[in-house]
Amino acid sequence: MTPAVLVGLATVCAATVLISVYGLRLSRTTGDFYVASRTVRPWWNASAIGGEYLSAASFLGVAGLILVSGIDALWFPIGYTAGYLMLLLFVAAPLRRSGAYTLPDFAAARLDSRPARRVTSVLVVTIGWLYIVPQLHGAALTVRITTGLPAWVGAAVVAVVVVVTVMSGGMRSITFVQAFQYWLKLTALVVPAVFVLLTLGAQGAPITDGGAAFHQDLDVTEAASLYRNVSLIIALLFGTLGLPHVLVRFYTNPDGQAARRTTVIVLGLLSLFYLFPTIFGVLGRIYTPDLAVGGQADATVLLLPQRVLGSTGGDLLAALVVGGAFAAFLSTTSGLVVSLAGVVSQDLFHGSVKGFRLAAVLSAAVPLIVALATDSRALAGSIGTVFAFTASTICPMLLLGIWWHGLTAAGAIAGMAAGAAVCGSAIVAAAVGGEALGPFAELLAQPAAWSVPLAFAVMVLVSKLTASRRPATVSRVMARLHSPERADTGWRPAGPQP
Amino acid sequence: MSQEPQRRPSARVRVTAPRTRAAAARSRYSVSRELAEQSELGEMFIRSLMRSQLRLALVVAGGFGLILLGVPVLMLLFPSINGMSVFTVPLPWLLLGAGVYPVIFVCAALYNRAAARNEDRFRQLVDDDRGSRPAWSAEPE
Repeated sequence: MTPAVLVGLATVCAATVLISVYGLRLSRTTGDFYVASRTVRPWWNASAIGGEYLSAASFLGVAGLILVSGIDALWFPIGYTAGYLMLLLFVAAPLRRSGAYTLPDFAAARLDSRPARRVTSVLVVTIGWLYIVPQLHGAALTVRITTGLPAWVGAAVVAVVVVVTVMSGGMRSITFVQAFQYWLKLTALVVPAVFVLLTLGAQGAPITDGGAAFHQDLDVTEAASLYRNVSLIIALLFGTLGLPHVLVRFYTNPDGQAARRTTVIVLGLLSLFYLFPTIFGVLGRIYTPDLAVGGQADATVLLLPQRVLGSTGGDLLAALVVGGAFAAFLSTTSGLVVSLAGVVSQDLFHGSVKGFRLAAVLSAAVPLIVALATDSRALAGSIGTVFAFTASTICPMLLLGIWWHGLTAAGAIAGMAAGAAVCGSAIVAAAVGGEALGPFAELLAQPAAWSVPLAFAVMVLVSKLTASRRPATVSRVMARLHSPERADTGWRPAGPQP
Repeated sequence: MSQEPQRRPSARVRVTAPRTRAAAARSRYSVSRELAEQSELGEMFIRSLMRSQLRLALVVAGGFGLILLGVPVLMLLFPSINGMSVFTVPLPWLLLGAGVYPVIFVCAALYNRAAARNEDRFRQLVDDDRGSRPAWSAEPE
C-alpha cells in the first residue's frame, strides 16, 4: 500500500505549494498579505473557513472517538458546528466591522490599552501553538501507520510545507489553498464511504450488524457523565469564539452582512462534512474494533477502506483518505501559522513582510519541537482541551468587548489572566494527577463548565471596580462595531453642531 | 486590483506595516461616524440597535440550547426512546448524529434574516432623522 499512499500524500503537498505560489502573483500589498484585501467572496471564504476549521480532530479524531466511546462522541462534531452558530450570533459582523487585523488589534482598539494588547498576544500565540501540536501528532500518526516511515517525517513535512506556503503567499493564496482543501477533505471521506457502503451492500455484509454497532458493549470507555458532556459542549461552543485562525478569516469579508452570510454557508458545509466521520466511526465499530483496544482509534478512517475492500481498490481509497488527512493537517496548521505570524510580526518585528516571514518560521518551529518531544493522545480530546482554554480566556474578552460598554482594560486583563491560570492549572493537574484525584478528576479534566463563568465573573467585577478608567473612545468603537455599512453616508446628526 | 485590464504587471509596491492603532482607527465613513458618535442621539440609536441585536442573538442561542438539551433530557425521561430505531439506527444516534445539524442551519438562516432586518430598520431611522432635521441644525451652505 505504500506507493499509492505516498503518491497521494505527495500530490496534496505539491498542489498546496503550487496554488500558493500561483496566488503569490495576486498578492502585492500588505492588505493582501494579511487579509487578502478583504475582497474574498462568501462562497470562497466559506470554503476556506471550512477547510481551515476541519482539523485532524475532525478528520481522524471524531471517527476514532466514536469507535471508543460510542454515542457520547457525537457531542464533539455537534459542538464544533454549533460553535460556529455562536460565532455568527455574537461575533461575526461586529468583528468584521471592527476593522482590526488580528485579535490583539481588536483588544487594543476596543480597550485603548497596550498591556491588554500584550496579554491578548501572548494568549493567542499560546493557543495557536497548543492547537498546532495535535495537528502535527495527527500527521506523525498517519505517516507511521500508512507508510511505515518514522513518525517524525509526517510532522516535519507538514511544518515545512506550511512555512513555504505561508511565506510565499500570505493570506490571499492561503484562501485559495484552504478553499481547495475543504473540498478535498470532503471528497476524501465521501468517496471511500460510498465505496465501502456499496461493497458491503453488494456482498450482503452487515453494515451496522443489525444495530449491534450502536450497542454500548462495544464502548471501550465508560459512559460519560452529564457534567462531562455539558462541560465539553460549553468548551466547544465558547472556544470557537476565540480561535485565532477562525477569527482572522472574518476580516477577509467585504462587509459585516457578508461576514454573516459566509458563516451561514460555513454551517452548511460543516454539517455536510460531519456526517461522514460519523459513518466511518460506526462502520469501524464492526470492522476495525481492534484499533479501539490497541490505542490507535484515530487511525480508523485511514485503515477502514482497506479492511473492507482488500488490496487494489483499498489501496487507492487509502491514498485518497491519506491525501485528505494531510489536507486537514496542512490547512489548519497554515491558518494558525498565518494568524500567529500576523500577531508575532506586528508585536515583535514592526509588521514588515520580512518580519512576517520570520514570524511564520517561528510560529511553526516551536510546536514542531513540542510535537516531536511529546506523545500523541486522542486527537479529539486534546483539541477539546484547547477549546476549554480559549473559552476561558479570549472568548470572555471578545464577547464583553463587543456587547458591553463597561469592559475596561484592567477587567479584561484580570479576567483573561484568571481564566488562563485556573483552566491551565486544572488541565495540567488532570494530566499529572489522573485518577488519583478521585472525585475532582472530572472537574479538572474538563474545566470549562466552571472556568468560563469564573473568567466572565472576574472580568465583570474588575471592570465595575475600575469603571472610572473606562476608555474614552468606547462609544466611538461601539458605533463602529455595530452600525451597518453605508448607514451613515451623508447623514449628519441632529442637534447643535460642534 | 487584479481584474484591471493591464498589459504590464503593476509596479512593485513597498509593503509596510499597517501600524496597528492607525489601521484600527481608520474607517471609510469615519467623518460622519464620528459626528454620529458625538451626538447623544447617535449614541442612543447605536445602543438601541445593540440591544435588539443582542436580544435576537440570545433568543436564537437560547432556543437552540433548549433543543440541544432536550435530546438527553428526553432520553432520560422516556428510556423507551433508546429502543426505537430506523433501519437499525437507534433514534438517539439519528438525532445526535444527523438531526441536530438541520436545526443549527435553520437557526443560523433565521438569525441572519432577522439581524439584517434590524439593521435595515436602523438605516431607516437614521435616514428619517436626517429628513426631519430641524432648521437650526442645518449646516451653513
